[in-house]
Amino acid sequence: MVAVAFTLAIGVLNFLNFSIPGIFMIAGMVSWAALKSGQHWLFAFGVALTASAAVGVAVYFLTYRPSSDSDPEVPLVSSLGFLVLLENLIVLWLGSDQQSYPALIADFNFRVGSIIVGGAQLLSLALSLAFVFALSLSLRFTNLGRQVRAIAESRRTASILGVNVGSVVPRVFVLSALFTGAGGILFAISYLQVSSSMGESIGFKGISAMIIGGMGNIWGAVAGGLLIGLVEILSTQFLGADFVNIGVYGLLLALLIIKPEGLFGMAAAREKL
Amino acid sequence: MNELILDVEQLSACYGRVEALIGVSLQVARGEIVTVVGANGAGKSTLLHSLLGTIAPTNGRIAFAGEDISRWPIHRRIDAGLVLVPEGRRILVSMTIEENLLLGAHMRQDKSAVRREIDNIYDRFPNLGRRRSHGASCLSGGEQQMLALGRAMLAKPQLLMMDEPSLGLSPLFVSKLFELIKDYNREGLSVLLIEQNTANALRIAHQATVLELGRVAMEGDAAAIAGSARLQEAYLGGAAHEVTEADKRKWIGRRS
Ligand SMILES: Nc1ncnc2c1ncn2[C@@H]1O[C@H](COP(=O)(O)OP(=O)(O)OP(=O)(O)O)[C@@H](O)[C@H]1O
Ligand SMILES: [Mg+2]
Repeated sequence: MVAVAFTLAIGVLNFLNFSIPGIFMIAGMVSWAALKSGQHWLFAFGVALTASAAVGVAVYFLTYRPSSDSDPEVPLVSSLGFLVLLENLIVLWLGSDQQSYPALIADFNFRVGSIIVGGAQLLSLALSLAFVFALSLSLRFTNLGRQVRAIAESRRTASILGVNVGSVVPRVFVLSALFTGAGGILFAISYLQVSSSMGESIGFKGISAMIIGGMGNIWGAVAGGLLIGLVEILSTQFLGADFVNIGVYGLLLALLIIKPEGLFGMAAAREKL
Repeated sequence: MNELILDVEQLSACYGRVEALIGVSLQVARGEIVTVVGANGAGKSTLLHSLLGTIAPTNGRIAFAGEDISRWPIHRRIDAGLVLVPEGRRILVSMTIEENLLLGAHMRQDKSAVRREIDNIYDRFPNLGRRRSHGASCLSGGEQQMLALGRAMLAKPQLLMMDEPSLGLSPLFVSKLFELIKDYNREGLSVLLIEQNTANALRIAHQATVLELGRVAMEGDAAAIAGSARLQEAYLGGAAHEVTEADKRKWIGRRS
């Protein structure tokens, strides 16, 4: 999910939005806080998604828009600032401790060979895939989806054709934030813990997944994410938990050497970083 | 006098210090084809982009269908029927042929009419119809130009602006293209045509304007301008010798 959100942000906006991990964390923490105060889970998720969307809008107006004509590095740095800001706000509000997230789904695990698969994890995987599928369908078949893709290919051509870039782009920000927020909630449901720093490692993995899958390709990002997940599991299994990151980043490195445009990427998309 | 679809007064535009348009005035009457010719760098594309709104003019006034659109955003101008077929066609190659056409119609709500018009385009250009769900990058230059024209027509233009549509096309495609422009014009479309292929452009146009270094050098009846031997030399063929000021004065003012 995070990889897809990054892909959306980079593909369409040409903007590596570093606030995405922050939004991921916000959704997890806000839904946790709401659940803890005794709210119904539907309400909690609603609040979390609203908060995500609000942050998305804020990032658009405070970082992307003021600098859309200037250097591409400017929004990159200011969105990184947003990430730091969000984390510190949450630390102030909810503390920096790891918090355990209530189990919303009856836990049912089963084994595939020697690997244990959690039911909640499987459910969130299925949900994520369903969201991504819905997203890719709407990019493909709706009017707005075509406008988004036109902007992704060439902002100038899109505006010559009358696409209202100034109204489509903020909608992409909100969509990308909602996606990230949903990802944060699903993460919390399946791993049953949240913390103010939960976004960071996910952020790195999301970027890795996007690079592995090939930039600007939604399904590539999904494949990259699944591949990273698989490598994580396998390296935990065979190398031990300490070596997980070596496995993941080793894969990333190897892939960048062998096929720098990513598994499903086009060479040109790399320029966007 | 016919009603004016486009009335441009004293339009100026610049890129930094470069003055690309200096006080250009231009009229297009409803149902007319007007062509703007001139050497490379004369400011022709700048003129069209100022009209569309992708470039902000520094001065002047643009009236379209009786309304002052000088401060309108691009998408509003297109919605009102001022549509551009850009230089170099600007086909979106990450999309299919059909998606390119649908994108042209993205502002319209009348889905069934859009569908009918797309099918008409396919009838007219079987090459597009046969490959409607293929990526647009598979098209030849000429087919891409037809796609760009079809895409623009789907925005329901009242005035169609075309920036060097014949560039890079074979003679066969060029004459096809000009026939098509004439057809659309007969069906009531007003056209503002920019061309390097001046002979053909002057042949189908009613009125013509010659731009030189950002200024209007001459304007008048297309046939009369085409007939000017001096003009042929200075603007339409090689620049053998300068057009005299007296010549210019003679041609300016022919129109009214
Ligand atoms: N993006 C730009 N930045 C700076 N100067 C520009 C830019 N675009 C055009 N110019 C300058 O403005 C002037 C007019 O350019 P314009 O593209 O309008 O000419 P044109 O008549 O369309 O030429 P052509 O026949 O080659 O298409 C030229 O002197 C050109 O160098
Ligand atoms: Mg030009």
